[in-house]
Amino acid sequence: MGRGEGQLKRPRLDLATPGLLGLPLAWLAAFFIVPIAIVGAYSVDALSIVPGKHPLTLDGWRDLLHGSVYLGLFWKSMKMSLVVSGVVVVLAYPLAYFLAFSGTKRKYVLLLILIAPFLTSYLLRVLAWKVILGSQGVVNTFLVWIGLRSPDDPISALLYSRFAVMLVLAYIWLPFVALPIFVSLESLDTRLLEAASDLGATRWQAFLRITLPLSLPGIVAAFLFIFIPTVGEFVTPSLVGGTSGYMYGNQISDLFGTGFPDWRTGSVLALFLLAVVVPLTVVFARVSRTERVAH
Amino acid sequence: MENERDLTERRLSRHDLLKLAAAAGGAGLVAGRAGAGRAALARFTAESGTLQVLDWAGYEVKQLWQPYLKKYPGQAPKFTFMTNEANALAKLQAGLRPDVVRPYVGYIQDFAQSGFFQPWTPALISNFKHLNRGMVKAGQFGGKQWGIPADWGFDAILYRTDKVKPKARSWGLLFDERYKGKIAWFDDLNALVVAGYYLGFKKPYDQSDAELKRSQDFLKSKKHLVRMFWASETDLDNAFASGELWIAYAWPNDWVLMKGKGLKVEYMYPKEGPISWIGMFMLGKNTPRPQHAHAFVDAWSSVQSAKWLEDNYGYGEANTLARPTSSDLLKVLKLTNPRAVQEPNAHIDRHIPRRSLYARMWEEVKAS
Repeated sequence: MGRGEGQLKRPRLDLATPGLLGLPLAWLAAFFIVPIAIVGAYSVDALSIVPGKHPLTLDGWRDLLHGSVYLGLFWKSMKMSLVVSGVVVVLAYPLAYFLAFSGTKRKYVLLLILIAPFLTSYLLRVLAWKVILGSQGVVNTFLVWIGLRSPDDPISALLYSRFAVMLVLAYIWLPFVALPIFVSLESLDTRLLEAASDLGATRWQAFLRITLPLSLPGIVAAFLFIFIPTVGEFVTPSLVGGTSGYMYGNQISDLFGTGFPDWRTGSVLALFLLAVVVPLTVVFARVSRTERVAH
Repeated sequence: MENERDLTERRLSRHDLLKLAAAAGGAGLVAGRAGAGRAALARFTAESGTLQVLDWAGYEVKQLWQPYLKKYPGQAPKFTFMTNEANALAKLQAGLRPDVVRPYVGYIQDFAQSGFFQPWTPALISNFKHLNRGMVKAGQFGGKQWGIPADWGFDAILYRTDKVKPKARSWGLLFDERYKGKIAWFDDLNALVVAGYYLGFKKPYDQSDAELKRSQDFLKSKKHLVRMFWASETDLDNAFASGELWIAYAWPNDWVLMKGKGLKVEYMYPKEGPISWIGMFMLGKNTPRPQHAHAFVDAWSSVQSAKWLEDNYGYGEANTLARPTSSDLLKVLKLTNPRAVQEPNAHIDRHIPRRSLYARMWEEVKAS
C-alpha cells in the first residue's frame, strides 16, 4: 500500500454535499412541499377559512370525482392545451430546423429576434390581441375594408372565445417551444446525414429516418414544455376567453379569490391538476435524460 | 416598547364610547361640571396612530374624505385594499386590524357575526341625520347600527337601443336568445338571485333546494348566450364601448359612461325589480381610534364628499342632500325619490343564509 493510498482511506467529514444541497432542499421544502401540504390540508377541511371546528372530510374529492362539472372543465382545458401544444410544435419545428441547418451565420441573431417579444410584458402582449381580434379590431376592420364583412356584422368569435385563448397561447409559447427543438437539432451529428446521402437516401428519407427520430426527445420535451403550464393557465383566458374560453385554471383562481371563496374545492382542483402534471414532469425528465444519452 | 404601544394605542370598546358620549353630554347639561366633561373628553379622545381603513381601490382619494383632513390636519388615513368581502374577512382572520372596513350591504350580518366589528355610535356622526333612512335601516342588525351607508347604486340592465328591441322591461333581456354572443353577466353569485326573481320565486335570497336547482339549471341553459362574465367594470366598459356587447348586467354609472361616449343606450329597470347595493362602513371591534373612525365616516357622509363621488364616480351617495351635476345621473339614480332603492321599487341586496351553497352553484354554472 503506498503512502498516498493510506491518506485516501483516512475517514474525513465531507460537508460539501450537504452544504451544496442544503439550501436548495430547504427552499424546496419551505416553498413547495409545505405549501402543497397546506393546500392538502384545506382540501380535507383540516384547515379552513371558515371560523370554527370542521371535521375532516373527503367531500371535496368525492364531489370532484363523482361530479361531471369540474372534470368536464378539466377535460376541456386538457383538449385546448393538447391542441395548442400540438399546433405550436408543428409550427415551431420548421422554424427550429431552419435555424439549426440553414448554415447562416446569423442564426443566433435570428434566435434573438424570435425571443424578442419576451422583452415586453406578458400582459401587454395578451392585451395587444384584443386590439387585433376585437369587433372593431385590425382583422375585422380589414375584412370590412375588403368587403368580406359588413360593419354591422363583424366576426365576433375572434375575441372572447376558445379560439382566441388558443391563438394567444400559441403566440405566447411559440418561441419557448422552438428553443428545445433547436437545441436538439443543432446537437445532431450531421455525419449521419452525410452517410445517409452517401448510401442513396433522399433528403426526405434522411429527415424521416434520421433527423426526426433523433430530434424526437426535443419534440416531446417541447410539447410538455407548453402543455404543462397551459393546462393550468388562467391569465390569458380571463383576458380574451369570455365564457367559452373559461379554463380549469380560472376555476381554481375563482374558487380561491372571487365572490365567496371555496378554498376546499379550490384546493381539491389544484391538487388534482398537480396529480396530472407531476407524472408528465417525470416523463419530461426521462425524455431529457434520453436526449442526453442519445447524444 | 410593547407597553408603550399599549398605552398609546389604547383600545376603546363600545362601552367606553358610550361613556364618552355620556361624559360629553353630561358636561353640556351640568355647567359646573364642564371642566370634568372636557377632561373626560380629553381622556377618551386621546387617540394616536394613523387611522387604518380597509377599503376598495379607488376610494382612497382625499376628495372623498376631505373634511376629515380639516379636522385632523396631516393625519391622512392609511388605506389597505380589499378585492371582495371574502378577501376582507380573510385579511382580518390573518391578523389585519383596520379601524374601518367597507363591505356591501349583503354582508352586514356576516361581518357583524364575525366578531371583528362593533356597532357605530350615530350620535358622533353629524351628517347621520341626512343619510337615506332606508339605507340606514339596511345597515342595522339586531337593533344596532353596524353599517353606515355610503356609496350605492343599482344592478339593472344596460342595452344598446339601436341594436336591441326588448320584448319586455324584464331581467329576461339577459336571457334573450336573439342576442346570443352580445350579452354580459356579472360574475357574482347574485346571478342566482336574479334568476330567482325572473323565475318568480318568493325568496330569491333564500331559495329552497329545488328552487336553487331550477335557478342553476336555468342559468346553465342560458350560458351559451353570454359573451363574458365581467368582474371588473373596466372590462365591461371597454367591451361595451367597442361593440362586443349590446346587453349587460350593469350599474348606473356604466350607462352614464356609455352615453358620454355617444352610444345609444338605455338603463332599464326590470319589472321584477332592480337590485340596489350599498357600501356600508363598519367599525373595527375595540378600535384604538373610535373618534377618528367616526370622523372619517362623517367626512364621507358630508354633502361635499357625496357630490364629488356622484360627479366623478357616477355612484350614488347616501346623503340625501347631495345632487350630482349631471342631470342624467340624477335621473338614472332616481335621486328625487329617496325610496327608489327599497321595496317595492327595488330589492336592497341582503344576507344570503346559504351563501356558500349559492357560491358553489354559481361556480358550477361558470364551469359547466
